[in-house]
Amino acid sequence: MNDADLNTAILCAHDLRDPARLIGLYTNAADRHEHTGDIDAACFFLTQAYVFALEAGDDRTDVLHQRLVNHRRA
Amino acid sequence: MNSHDPLGPVMQPINRARGLPNAHYIDQAVFDAEKRRLLFANWAGIGFAHDVAEPSDAKPVDFLGMPLLILRDRAGVVRVFQNTCRHRGMILVDTPGKIRGAIRCPYHSWCYDLDGTLKSTPHVGGPGHNRHEDIDMSTLGLIEIASYVWQGVVFANIDGSAPPFTKVHADLLTRWREFDQPLHFGGETSYFALDVATNWKLAVENYCESYHLPWIHPGLNTYSRLEDHYNITAPGKFSGQGTLVYRQLCDDGKIFSDFAGLPDKWNEGAEYIAVYPNVLLGVQRDHTFAIVLEPKSCDQTVEHVALFYADDAADNDLKDKNADLWRGVFEEDLFVVEGMQRGRHGIKFDGGRFSPVMDGPTHNFHDWVARQMANRG
Repeated sequence: MNDADLNTAILCAHDLRDPARLIGLYTNAADRHEHTGDIDAACFFLTQAYVFALEAGDDRTDVLHQRLVNHRRA
Repeated sequence: MNSHDPLGPVMQPINRARGLPNAHYIDQAVFDAEKRRLLFANWAGIGFAHDVAEPSDAKPVDFLGMPLLILRDRAGVVRVFQNTCRHRGMILVDTPGKIRGAIRCPYHSWCYDLDGTLKSTPHVGGPGHNRHEDIDMSTLGLIEIASYVWQGVVFANIDGSAPPFTKVHADLLTRWREFDQPLHFGGETSYFALDVATNWKLAVENYCESYHLPWIHPGLNTYSRLEDHYNITAPGKFSGQGTLVYRQLCDDGKIFSDFAGLPDKWNEGAEYIAVYPNVLLGVQRDHTFAIVLEPKSCDQTVEHVALFYADDAADNDLKDKNADLWRGVFEEDLFVVEGMQRGRHGIKFDGGRFSPVMDGPTHNFHDWVARQMANRG
């Protein structure tokens, strides 16, 4: 999935109000930016993923939170 | 007493008193003042505990324009919060449902735990920066509203000025201590709501006196005669009526189970009390009910009625029949409370005179209203 496809998928997940998918897609976006060393962008997407996980009581919440803590963003 | 004080005559002894002036039923300014001084400054009923039956259940309530959120936290405790985000004042929860993780504001996604703690302030320090030194999250939790659950009703003291519920209503809690045991909501058909074109206080007044029974509820009167009733008046607190001849509903030999451990006085006794300002309760050996009056405007009220039983095993058909029976009784009262509302547009009506013998519970309520209105700001 290229960046454009990822963006489209995120918008679609928003339309569907699908938190599980939003969490996965935003985490994917965060991973990509973290990989390229763009920490600000990575933390933006991590935050998005974390908030939807927090709201949904999703199992990924703690891991996402810890990643933000590691970047001193939580 | 100021001779021009319109509430002075209301606070006289019953044999000399007049009822509340018309303005208390038809004037928007008085309605607004009563909202603050009677309904927000005391322990008002705002809903039922079974509306949030399980942990994480949440229900938004608009009580006289005040946005409230009733929820049951993870420990099973019913709590009430102002349903408003601490950031930009957005309504947090719009529809009843389960909060699976956190309450997320739909605007900028500030998130709150079920205990009201502010959990996350996404991007508050800029994109991807979720903290800011000037945003002290520990001071920005949801505003909790004092609440107390009794007889299945969620009571709330919205402005936070009242003494604790157990202190305000200590006498009533003692009077009905035998019914301080688990109440089981009868289920979907054991709730109904009546939209009534009346001021909420007229529903209180009609409920708490038995004077009208032979005229408005002749069906009840065949076995529950006027002389079998007694007045209940606790000055400044509550009022109502009791009966000495309560008869259990019986259908094909089926009856409801009794509440556990009731003394013999409840075998044929039952009591119906208005818990000021807006909750009407009834207790009988085999079921209770609660009516939460939701004032919508000067002349519109919704009566939310719920019935409760001693256990979950109560027969469904019998519960339905019981709900129908009570609905019928309460519907018989509608033309009266609506008629009194229309009558209060009569500009020559002076509040009315009370029967010194029969109208004690109503006078007790009027006296309470008048003193609450006179004593505060």
